[in-house]
This record gives sequence, structure tokens and C-alpha cells, in this order.
Amino acid sequence: MEASDLSGHISKRFNKDIEQLRSSVLSMGGLVEKQLQQAITAIVSGDSELGLQVANDDYLVNELEVSIDEECGRILAMRAPAAGDLRLIVAIIKTITDLERIGDEAEKIGFLASRLAAMDRPPDSYRELKNLGTHVSHMVRDAMNAFARLDVDEALDVVREDERVDEEYEAIQRQCITFMMEDPRSIKRVMNVTWAARSLERIGDHAKNICEYVIYMVQGRDVRHTRITDMAENPNDQ
Amino acid sequence: MSPSARKFAISLVLFLLAGAALGWFYERPLVGLLLAALLCLAWQTRQLLQFERALRTNNFDKFRLGEGIWEQLLARIRFDRERGKRRKVAYRNLLREVRKSTDAMPDGAVILDTRNEILSCNRAASELAGLKRKKDRGQRIDNILRDQKLSSLVNDDDFEQSVEIASPLRDGEWLNCRVVPYGADQKLLLIRDVTERMRLTRMRRDFVANASHELRSPLTVISGYLDALAEDDDLPDQWHRPVEQMQSQSRRMNRILSELMELSRLESSGSASQDEVIDVDALIRKVVASFPQQADKATISIANASRVRLLGREAEIESVLVNLLTNALRHTPSGGNITVSWERAINGASLSVEDTGIGIEAAHLHRLTERFFRVDRGRSRDDGGVGLGLAIVKHVLARHQAELDIVSEPGKGSRFSCHFPADRLSLPVS
Repeated sequence: MEASDLSGHISKRFNKDIEQLRSSVLSMGGLVEKQLQQAITAIVSGDSELGLQVANDDYLVNELEVSIDEECGRILAMRAPAAGDLRLIVAIIKTITDLERIGDEAEKIGFLASRLAAMDRPPDSYRELKNLGTHVSHMVRDAMNAFARLDVDEALDVVREDERVDEEYEAIQRQCITFMMEDPRSIKRVMNVTWAARSLERIGDHAKNICEYVIYMVQGRDVRHTRITDMAENPNDQ
Repeated sequence: MSPSARKFAISLVLFLLAGAALGWFYERPLVGLLLAALLCLAWQTRQLLQFERALRTNNFDKFRLGEGIWEQLLARIRFDRERGKRRKVAYRNLLREVRKSTDAMPDGAVILDTRNEILSCNRAASELAGLKRKKDRGQRIDNILRDQKLSSLVNDDDFEQSVEIASPLRDGEWLNCRVVPYGADQKLLLIRDVTERMRLTRMRRDFVANASHELRSPLTVISGYLDALAEDDDLPDQWHRPVEQMQSQSRRMNRILSELMELSRLESSGSASQDEVIDVDALIRKVVASFPQQADKATISIANASRVRLLGREAEIESVLVNLLTNALRHTPSGGNITVSWERAINGASLSVEDTGIGIEAAHLHRLTERFFRVDRGRSRDDGGVGLGLAIVKHVLARHQAELDIVSEPGKGSRFSCHFPADRLSLPVS
């Protein structure tokens, strides 16, 4: 499926509906990207006000999810789409769920940022969280780009990135355990750091899910719970 | 009729006549005519087929079509084709030149159609904003650059504003985007890298904040000792006046520093939260009451106090009001009137302070909110003004999405109105 296939309907109205739907998913993605970006900034710079603002703004993401969901239901009922269009709608319904979860995790990180801002800051000012956060927010961005461009290669790249994010998360966890053993007084703070890292790692998983939906949408293959090598094989090429 | 066409028609008629004459010789003129016509048809059919093949294979040399109208036709078509080819090359070169020059531009340019779909973009646009030139053609721009500010900029056809968005490619870089109308029903999105400018602005802001902060501690020591000196009974008489003056100047410096710090705080923070519900009516009464009525000053009165509430920071709105009132008092001679009002307007509400003072010349109006700007350089240094009041007002209002509107006429008075948008208002719960 190509991007141009989406506008090949006889009913102009249907074309418009589908384009509109895609755009609203992408603008929801944009909002989630911004939330995540701000949550990471809040935690790294110790800005409690920004953290709370992220937490307060999560309702915007939720509202978008509900309205897009409703629109999907409407299109399913009125147009009874088939083939690529049906896959698109199904993929959108799943994508917005994951986007909303990413929003929730960003909300959590925002809360943690406001809590961490009130505690002592380590000398490296959460460099490892910053690295993981940058990595993950790039994944979310690339996943949304893959969704916009229906680009399977880009989607596969994001899926590959997820393994590295998992490794980074492991490393942070080990580091946190060491800190806690060295200085039990820091346990409260370090626990918050592990939770933030955990949220970031979950966001990586959600970005990966979105990419799997992109592959499903474009190629019609369900690649969930498969290995990356199987995922990269395109049966249509053979 | 061209000569070759006339020749063709004449020779056709002559040929048919010759056929008829030959038939007449054998006493069958009609058969002769028919035969001649058939012969003619066969010959022309062959020519036509050859001509078609020549056009199709684009090989004109192989077929000898003889002279006459067919050759004319062929020559005409060859000529047109050659010319078309030459024009194509010329256009291609021209296009390449245009492309080269747009690619050489340091700023990104994206051509959008009415539905904000990308028609084409230059190299800078793909390097700055990560657009893919082939793949993103036909894609809506806000699908790729997913920023709410940009999306409302292109969707509202706002050709006045520009927005700053974070670079989608590199962290910490900033892009300035603006839209200009282009061609028929098209738009041109211009993208410029403003990372350096943003960095300089931030540096300047940080510098002012840090410098004010650093200057404050030594000043505290100085004014502390000055206070102690002033209260010292052993101070020789000739020192009383200098110490007093030093005290008043150090207080003044202190005020400048705290206002500068307040300004940089306002500048670096984003939009004001909407948590606090401000009872503007009560606030006006409180602030006005804090200015004692003096015989040699203008009188302050309150008019049109609406009950609508404002959502924002009360302390900041209070400082706006205090600053505007202080300015009005300073520039209104005794006997004048100052009127404060808070009223509903179209799409919002406005808080205004109107005086019957000396007024401001129109030429100075646009510079009024600059820091340390003074209409009259000689005056007002001694009357306690710091020169930051209106700058603070401007920044507080910006944080509340409000606009400052100044109307003034020299000799008649001025009116400072702060217009707040409707989504910053709420009706009181009765």
C-alpha cells in the first residue's frame, strides 16, 4: 500500500474522512511527542512546575483518543471499509491506544519530575535518564513518521531500536541498585529514578507496537510477537 | 491555400481528367474516371501508411515520400518536433537553474497547496525539517511536522505570524516558520534555523538575571551600613545630607535590580497558569485604596467594574495595575482625574487606566514598553521612575495572552487598556 492508495476512492467524502482521521492521529502523536519531550526536560532540569504541567495536560491526549475512536466507529459503521482501508482503521484504533498509554507514562514521568525536583540532585543530573529519554522520544517520533509515510523500513528501524532501549534500561537499573546498596538514604530518590526509567522503557515498547501496526497496515502481515528477522522478511517480495 | 496544396489539388483534378479522357478514347469515360480514382486512392493510401510509419518509428530518412504535399507535411512535423525538443532542453536547463538556486538558499521553502499538502520543497527544507522530497509529496505538512503551533499557522492561513518550533531532527535546535501566499491558491512555508538567535536571547536573559542577582548582595551591605550611619548620633552634621542621598540612591538601585529580576523571571516563564480566579473588581479597590489621596496629586476614581473574573496570577495583575497607576499619577498634574475600569468587551474584557495628564506623542508610543525608555530624557530621573514598569506590564500581559493598547494625545491624556481574551475569563459563581 502506498500513501496515494489512500486517496483513490470514488467517494470524495470518504477520501476526506480518511485523510482527516489520519491527520488527527498524527496530531495526537505530535501532542504526545511534546508531552514526552517536556516530561524529560522537567526531570533533567529539575523543573517541578513543568512536570506538573505535563501531568495536568494529559487530559488533552485522552480527549483526542476518545474523539478519534468515535470517528473510527463512525467510519466503520457508515462506510464498511474493506482491505487496505479496513486495515488502516484497525491500525488507527490500536495506535491511539498505544499513544494514549505513552501519554499516561509521560504524565507519570511529569509527576516523578516534580517529586525529584524537591530532592537532592545527583552530580550527573540524571544524565542516564536524559540519554534514555532522548532515545525513546526519537523512537516515538520515528514511529509517527513511519505512520505518516507508511514506511515499513523506518518502522523496522524503530523495532530494532527497542532492543537497545531495553539494554539501556537494564544498565540504569543495575546502576540504581548499586546506588541503593552504597547509600540506603538515597533509596527513596533512586526508586523514583527507576520508576521514571521504567516508564521510558514502556514508552519504547509502545512505540514498537505502533510500528508493528504500520507494518500490518501496509503489508497486511501481523508481525506481533515475532522475531525481528521474521519481521523484516517481506513475503510480497518473493 | 499554400502553393503545395494548390499544386496537389490541381494535379488531382488533372489526373482524374486524364483518366476520363483516356476512357473517352475507348468510349468508356466513366470507367476511365473510376480507374483513375482507384489508382489515386491506392497511391494516397500507400503514402498515408508510409507517413504513419515514419511518424511512429520516428525515422523520417528511410521513406522517400516524393515531393508535394506529403513532404511538406513531413517537413512541418519534423520542424515542430525539433523545436519542441529544443524547447524542452531549454526548459529543463531553466528548471535546473531554478532548482539549483532554490537549493542554494539557506532557508527552507516548502510549497503547499490549499489543503496544506506538500507540492515540493528545496534542499534546505529537507535538511532542516527532515522532509523527504519524493516520498512526502502529497503528504500534509502537519502530518510530518507535528506541532500544534505550526498546524494552526498553516490551517488558519495566518500570514502575519511566525512560530518557533523545535527541530524534528536535532534536539535543542529551533526553527522559525512562517507562511506567505504564493501563486494562485498556494502557500510557501519558509523555515529558518534560529537556534543561534534563541541561544543569544537566552544568554542575554540569563546574563541580566545573574548580574542583577550578583549586584544585589554587595548593595545590601552598602545600604545596611548607610542605614546604620544615618542613625548614628555621632555623625558630623555636614555628612547628614550625603548619607541621606546615598541611602535614597541605594534604595533606587535596589528597586531597579528587583524589577530587572522580576522581568527576567517573567521572560523565562511560559504562559501563566489559569489556576487562580482573580476578582478584578476587589483587586482594583484594594490597589486604589493603597494609593493615598493627596492634595497635590490627581484623584483616582473607579468606573465600570464588571463582576467577571480573570484567570491568571493575581500578584502579577496587581503589579500591572500598580505600575499603570503609578505612571498615571506621575504624569497627571494635581486637579486631574484618573479613571480605572474593568469591563466586558468584544471577545474578552479590558482593564484600563485613563488619565487627563500630559499625554504622549504618537512617535513615542511604540517604544514605550522598551526597558529604560524615557520620552523626555532630561525629566523623570528624579521622580522615582525606574523605567521598567511598562516592560513588566508588557511581559505580564504576554503571559496572560493579553494585549496592551495605548491611546494618547499630548495635553489631553492617555488611556492604557489591557485586553484579555475570552478564555481567560470566568463568570462569578453567584
